Amino acid sequence: MSNGFRSVHPSVALLYYVGLLLFATLLFHPLFLLTELAAVLSLLLLQGQGRHLLRGLPFYLLMAGSVVLWNPLFSHRGSHILFYAFDQPITLEAILYGLMMMLVLLTIMFVFISYNFTMTTDKFMYLFGTVAPKSALLILMTIRFVPLFQRRLGQITLIQSSRGISVSSGKLRKRMSDGMTLLKVLLTWSLEEALQTADSMKARGYGIRKRSTYGIFKLDRRDIITLICLAGSGMLTLIFSMQGYGMVEIYPRLKTPVYTGGDAVMYGSFCMFLLIPVGLEIKEKWLWRSFERRDFPSVIPIKKGPHYMTSRSR
Amino acid sequence: MVLCGPSGCGKTTLLRHLKRELKPVGTCEGAIWYKGQAMDELTPQTAAEDIGMVFQNPEAQIVMDTVWHELAFSMENMGYSPTVMRSRLAEIAGLFGLEPLLYKPVHELSGGQKQLLNLASVLLLRPKLLLLDEPTSQLDPVAAREFIHMLHRLNEEMSMTVIISEHRLEEVFPIADRVLLMEEGSLKAEGTPSELVQRIGHEEQQKQLSYLPTASRLFLALSPPEERVAQQSIPLTVREGKRWLHGQLALLKNYGHESAVENIVTVTDSFRKEQETLLKCQEVTFRYQKEGPDILSKLTLNLYRNEVLTILGGNGAGKSTLLYLMAGLSKPQRGRITLAKGVTAGYLAQNPLLYFSQDTVKEELLHMARYAGLSEADSQREIAKLLDIFQLHEVYDSHPLDISGGQQQKVALAMVLLLTPDILLLDEPTKGLDPGAKERLASLLKLLREDGKSIVLVTHDVEFAAKYATRCAMLFDGGITAEGPPDVFFSANYFYTTVVNRIVRDWLPQALTIEDVT
Repeated sequence: MSNGFRSVHPSVALLYYVGLLLFATLLFHPLFLLTELAAVLSLLLLQGQGRHLLRGLPFYLLMAGSVVLWNPLFSHRGSHILFYAFDQPITLEAILYGLMMMLVLLTIMFVFISYNFTMTTDKFMYLFGTVAPKSALLILMTIRFVPLFQRRLGQITLIQSSRGISVSSGKLRKRMSDGMTLLKVLLTWSLEEALQTADSMKARGYGIRKRSTYGIFKLDRRDIITLICLAGSGMLTLIFSMQGYGMVEIYPRLKTPVYTGGDAVMYGSFCMFLLIPVGLEIKEKWLWRSFERRDFPSVIPIKKGPHYMTSRSR
Repeated sequence: MVLCGPSGCGKTTLLRHLKRELKPVGTCEGAIWYKGQAMDELTPQTAAEDIGMVFQNPEAQIVMDTVWHELAFSMENMGYSPTVMRSRLAEIAGLFGLEPLLYKPVHELSGGQKQLLNLASVLLLRPKLLLLDEPTSQLDPVAAREFIHMLHRLNEEMSMTVIISEHRLEEVFPIADRVLLMEEGSLKAEGTPSELVQRIGHEEQQKQLSYLPTASRLFLALSPPEERVAQQSIPLTVREGKRWLHGQLALLKNYGHESAVENIVTVTDSFRKEQETLLKCQEVTFRYQKEGPDILSKLTLNLYRNEVLTILGGNGAGKSTLLYLMAGLSKPQRGRITLAKGVTAGYLAQNPLLYFSQDTVKEELLHMARYAGLSEADSQREIAKLLDIFQLHEVYDSHPLDISGGQQQKVALAMVLLLTPDILLLDEPTKGLDPGAKERLASLLKLLREDGKSIVLVTHDVEFAAKYATRCAMLFDGGITAEGPPDVFFSANYFYTTVVNRIVRDWLPQALTIEDVT
């Protein structure tokens, strides 16, 4: 289930996604944004999330597309007035700004899809647990309760409906009070069980010592190298960005972007940052491809095609 | 060491005193010593590490949401280093066969797996003393046997001291070194299993008799009193029982003149023709999800007036689902379930807590009576009648969650009965009950049956089914594979039958209970 970028240590993945979000908001430049979008998209496709992406695409496009529409209607900053709509000046700057915002939004949404796929809850909780063990424990216990309560509420609803307490029939007022009754049953039942859970925790020595954390994740050599590369290229990009590179000025007046050597170096390190996970995925794909192709070097040669009985074996 | 005794005799309280963290609040006299040290003087760490405890309810003890995390929880509490945790976890996961489950969410496990997980999680601290409070009462027989075997292994291979309180003594009794019988907060009897059997047999107390394993009870019932004392080894298991009986065949009452099987079959057939059919399941097929597996497939079953039908079957065979459908709580995708004209069905779920929504038992019953459409006077009369039958007068004004599990079940049953159903559908009513409570439940069912009601029981409890059912059905692979009156049904089985039958089947294939033999 976990291969390629999904198999890296959670801290590496977290660094990558934090970097992606940071750059998406920080680097307000069409080239950088488009590159990032393309990188995230290819990562998603390589991770086999194409179908998932496709299902949500109309929604994402609607969300992001509306910004392109609304921004010029509400913002009239900028000096290049193209035309008037409803007596409002529509400026070139506002349209471009809207387009850029759309790119930012799309990138962020895609980053989150990939994040949800790569960083599962247990990975996040593992990282969180090393920073704040007590709160992490609390959150984990709470997370467990959500599906548990759902299942219990289903049972309660079914049984209580056989004594006339149901939210699907009767007047609104009765339905509401019945709903409360159902929740009350759930609450009393769960509190009853929570007492036993507390006993079980106490019996297993909860709270007598400082807790340690058991991790199922190991930071191996590949993870460390990936971490260093990501951190290095990310830092470089960040430093350049603070120097003012990789920025397009739209408001108050659109300026033609000037490309310098600094921009090129920054773009290079940015690309490196983006493509490391993509590279990992591709490597994984390649690995399995060649693995499946390879003939088995065993004593008995494997025959292709249908097997016939030879005269000898007959 | 095995602790036994009726519910509410103080077994749990005693066990909790042995585990310092869970000592009940209240006045306490006397002292408990652990390895020559007073219990209160132990460091918190030794107290938590050396004494482990597993409780009754498998679900409520679990803290985390995945198996590995649950296992790690106790070790994390003790602040072990990751390497120590890793090696201990590996060891225990191997011993318990938990590797394939390691990354599963806890709610996907079965009850038996959950309880094994709880045990494993406690064992990770390497306790010297293991306390178990009715650990198998919520499990089905197969899972329970597995659990007991695991305990036996721990005791044999690691010489771990195990103190277990139990109702289901058939498996625990033969492997115990010492048995303690408690009653009303004090120790009634103590000794090795054989000693205890002899003592109880000597005193001839019916109440305590029901705690003994069947083989011993059979022995006590058959052998003449003077011989009991002479006998050195008392049979505790099926094998020992059979060996003992082999030399004593003259003791069996009906041996030699066997009643023919065919006779019984014809009798039941004619019985069936006379009785009217209350409920008909015709080729019922049901699944929970569109893509899910069929839980029931083409199941056909009839229920007649005035009978107790038990439905037996393995875990997840769909027994509870069948009851759901019979109660009309959900509809089958194919097939039909028809009730005869004017017949209603009442359903009692496994967990009585699901039924309670009011603040007192009284309000619960009144609410139910109102829903049933009874007038004020009628409901008062009906409730009074039910309180008499179920002996619920003393809990009438208490909160439904403050009363004992057995009483909760009775209240829930009383609530269902207020709807005056003709058919009662009971889901595992004997789960977690001590032998005394089981007998009371049985007499209750008998009373209801005399009242003209038909009862459908879903149960794992073979002994209960053999004793009190009029008809048994086996649910397997989504359909009814065998059905018949208990004697025919069980004597056709080889493994899935009562202990008595397994002991005496070579000589009396039809005998199911001790009463059948003596």
